Amino acid sequence: MSATAVEPLLRDLAPRVLGVLVRRHAAGFDLCEDAVQEALLAAARQWPSEGVPVHPQAWLVTVASRRLVDDVRSEHARHRREEVAGAVALGDERAQPVAGERTREHDDTLTLLLLCCHPALSPASQIALTLRAVGGLTTAQIASAFLVPEATMAQRISRAKATIRADGTAFRPPPSEELPERMAVVLHVLYLIFNEGYTASSGADLQRTELADEAIRLTRLLHRLLPGDDEVAGLLALMLLTDARRAARTDPGGELVPLAEQDRSAWDAAAIAEGVDLVSAALRSGPLGPYQLQAAIAAVHAEAPSAEETDWREILALYGLLERIAPSPTVALNRAVAVGMAQGPRAGLEALSAVTGLDEHHRLEAVRAHLLEMAGEMEEARAAYRLAARRTTSLPERRYLEGRAGRLRGSN
Amino acid sequence: MKYMLMIYDNPDSRELFQSPEGKELMEQVDAMMAQLTASGELVGGEALADPSNTRTVRVHEGAPVVTDGPLAEAKEHFGGYLIVECETIDRAVEIAAAWPSARLAPMEVRPIMDPAGMEM
Repeated sequence: MSATAVEPLLRDLAPRVLGVLVRRHAAGFDLCEDAVQEALLAAARQWPSEGVPVHPQAWLVTVASRRLVDDVRSEHARHRREEVAGAVALGDERAQPVAGERTREHDDTLTLLLLCCHPALSPASQIALTLRAVGGLTTAQIASAFLVPEATMAQRISRAKATIRADGTAFRPPPSEELPERMAVVLHVLYLIFNEGYTASSGADLQRTELADEAIRLTRLLHRLLPGDDEVAGLLALMLLTDARRAARTDPGGELVPLAEQDRSAWDAAAIAEGVDLVSAALRSGPLGPYQLQAAIAAVHAEAPSAEETDWREILALYGLLERIAPSPTVALNRAVAVGMAQGPRAGLEALSAVTGLDEHHRLEAVRAHLLEMAGEMEEARAAYRLAARRTTSLPERRYLEGRAGRLRGSN
Repeated sequence: MKYMLMIYDNPDSRELFQSPEGKELMEQVDAMMAQLTASGELVGGEALADPSNTRTVRVHEGAPVVTDGPLAEAKEHFGGYLIVECETIDRAVEIAAAWPSARLAPMEVRPIMDPAGMEM
């Protein structure tokens, strides 16, 4: 089996092996996680040339357990923590799949996700830890995806694990009254991982764009674990419907192409169909949530045969609902766009003037610029594009906004 | 978000770091580097040679014109930088405010452009 064929298998097994290890040994999540990472690296080195073992998961558990015992012994030598070594040495070194263990794997993966998205961690740490412990990515891969040195990422991961250890969190699901809040963090972390990858997609940043695939893979996994959770389904639908535009969102030169000008024949029809099915089922079945509504809005765009045929009244109604259940300045801003498209640029500008909390934000100015351009106020539109271009800290957005401003030069 | 913390200095301020009273400043630099490394915020950093080593290059009618020394004479020059990654610019400003040379010359905190972007 080639290295490229081995990797998906390893990524799939990573959270299960970690779950087994944490359950079997009293060494704590952080040491187990290090041991699993080393076992994964060993497998990535050996399997392509020596072949995949008959029981790949058992192989990984065995190698990780041995590594864990070694690590704890050296830790023991350093810290004289005899009780930890004693507890770990009891682990079964010739692990075979044990009956009943598979049923627990699902719960373990969910518990792992919740642990990695621990509220005591910063978003950056939650993302890094989730990608390593649940996604099975190496520190080097994560560092390269986030454009930081490997040492920096290694430090973030070990600090995150130290924070969890200091918090004294055990490897078990949070109390049920905390679960909704904790699940919201998990979904947000997956959404952030997706966005990191999706917004980077311009060819040059291939390693970063893989983050979008990884976020979809992990959300798919979560959806399999919790098929009845409509917000998980909504998030998966939102990712699929957004990612369906990936090939059309930049031109061959890597420049951003606005939604209205994208080549819709380049959109991924299969991803759109899956996303539409998911969100339709979720909307039918239970209480509305922000991810479902955002997915529903993405579905309206995805199903429009052309930009002109977009059902903006439907989108406006959906933003109205979203503003009611999850109000935020960004939602108000997007709603102002929908008002502009459904009722004309003047109405949009009026809605925009009521948006608060985004005073210095480039996106507010970019929306104003588009609406002013639609209204024929070319001089003001150009000034707004230029202001938005100065404010953004994204290179492709700045180039796009400068390009729009440049097009209006001398048109007044 | 990544930020560049631009450190300005001159021969006097650099000399101060090597003087007896500068010992404490150097210790503070070491302590901050250790802290930023441990927190995973430090992405990189370099010190630049004194501006007298600069070559300024202009192209005039297709031909390069090279002069010794920096673009503009000033009391303090860009002397080095740190790159940190943190959640907010407020945190980057806090790091700059704690950096010992900020007591001797101003520091500038400037966001680094993100290669990613959202279609509009």
